[in-house]
Amino acid sequence: MSLRAIAAWKAANREVGAARQPAQGITRRRFAGTAAGAAFLGGALGSGLLKPGLAQASESFAPVPIPGGTPLLNGMYHFFGPAAIDPIDAEPITITNLNGFVGLAYISGMVTQTNTQTGETLRLPFINSDMRFMQGVFRGADGRIHQGTFALV
Amino acid sequence: MDVYQLRAGDQTPTQIHDLNPSQFPPLGLFWTIQLPDDSVEIQLGKGSATLQGSDVPILDYGNIPNALFTGDQPPPVPGSVSFRVVWSGVSQRVNIRNTDPTYGGFAGEFIRNTAQMEWTATVGNYTFVSDPLATSSSAFAEIGHERNGSFFPQG
Repeated sequence: MSLRAIAAWKAANREVGAARQPAQGITRRRFAGTAAGAAFLGGALGSGLLKPGLAQASESFAPVPIPGGTPLLNGMYHFFGPAAIDPIDAEPITITNLNGFVGLAYISGMVTQTNTQTGETLRLPFINSDMRFMQGVFRGADGRIHQGTFALV
Repeated sequence: MDVYQLRAGDQTPTQIHDLNPSQFPPLGLFWTIQLPDDSVEIQLGKGSATLQGSDVPILDYGNIPNALFTGDQPPPVPGSVSFRVVWSGVSQRVNIRNTDPTYGGFAGEFIRNTAQMEWTATVGNYTFVSDPLATSSSAFAEIGHERNGSFFPQG
């Protein structure tokens, strides 16, 4: 996730950005206030325990998202972009009730894309890819303490 | 991962791939997945850490506006990504206690440093292989130890 791209897009689409909201009818407060909201997209827990999987509805001990989110996106999405779109001292992680190690980086470089059908290759930049980790103990949606390792990709 | 293309006549690159692990809309845990505990190694005193993931399922939304606001323009393409991120060095040590009602609710000890990454991915008919780790660079990087939520009494 390139946070600066969000800022640039938002600046170029102020009216559109204000009008278009995902999941019409689901407010942030209403959604996050439910156990389902807390667990929604909550990592590959449960049957996929310790196996990476597409984020989806998960077991009751899923971590709980941080309560707020970047004002640039009206607080709807539970993340901040320290030193990119938010103050450098903004919350760097996406999980609340955590006591543990964390890391964040916005990384750029070059990648080679290959079309496996045609064999065509392109050299392309990846720009400010947002990579984060969280590792430690956390209080899950079930109210209990768990140990876990998570990444924002 | 955010992959761009500089097209002829464009002043700025256009994003053509946006790989993240969440189904649309990402209103819960934001693009966050669980990994095995040995995916992270950290030596805070030295300012070093490594994050690794292997064959992590992702969806390619093409660009961030689609990933955040529309979700199906174009429809996301499933794939997987493997990555290794390495944080190193100590540029600055900071202790933060942030009680700001918007941005805060946590305390921790952080090291601002640099990070690099190498990664591969497969999405639809495309494969991606980044240049070696040492060729990448970070605009901002930090590692630390923090407490938030119920582990951060603000009283």
